Amino acid sequence: MFLKARMTGWRAAAVGALIASAAFAGSTRTPAPDFTLASRSGGKVELTQLRGQVVMINFWASWCGPCRQEMPLLDKMYRKYKPAGFTLVGVNVETDPKDADGYLKATPVSFPILLDTENKVSQLYNVSAMPSTVLVDRKGVVRYVHHGYKAGDENEYLDRIRALIRE
Amino acid sequence: MKALRASLFLLLVLQAAACSRIEPWVKPYERERLADPIMSWDRDPISLAYITHVRDSREGARGASGAAGGGCGCN
Repeated sequence: MFLKARMTGWRAAAVGALIASAAFAGSTRTPAPDFTLASRSGGKVELTQLRGQVVMINFWASWCGPCRQEMPLLDKMYRKYKPAGFTLVGVNVETDPKDADGYLKATPVSFPILLDTENKVSQLYNVSAMPSTVLVDRKGVVRYVHHGYKAGDENEYLDRIRALIRE
Repeated sequence: MKALRASLFLLLVLQAAACSRIEPWVKPYERERLADPIMSWDRDPISLAYITHVRDSREGARGASGAAGGGCGCN
């Protein structure tokens, strides 16, 4: 138990260091730390359950302008590439998901929204900007980390997603 | 004497604490309250630009009036 906890901590530190060294955006190759979070639509989602698919983890909040800007684009991406073995989870980092509910009512998205109310997963992935986008390949390895969002960044996401789907 | 030595040691320890690594205390994902519109100086950026200009002229100095960005750590 102790060893397992230490191992998780060590791995988180390794991933954190890698994400940090990726500076603004970049390729990495570290196993994605596993997490289980409650879904907004009920039930729980575990990262390992999604193994075999290309997974995009998007850390967002309703108070973050660029996050709001990219949400409809992410939804479009999700719908387009879902049949090809791609999935997207939106990790909401707010302590009180009420604001997120309000935002999602006005801008509905079809991908699952997970609630990280205690910010444990944000810590695990060392989220150093909002939004942060992590791409995990079919084998569960973090392949790409992107910090922030500005118009046009979605093309970079799309290139990476297509490349990972083809693997 | 002993008390003096102890207090000197304590002072040294406290001063050494200043050399510890400085990190951002608030993580980007914890900026919920900071990103609230109520935390901005003015809700109208155009009027704020005028007011800032007037202040710059009046004071003969500019800048140091805050950081850019909405507090999401993405700029």
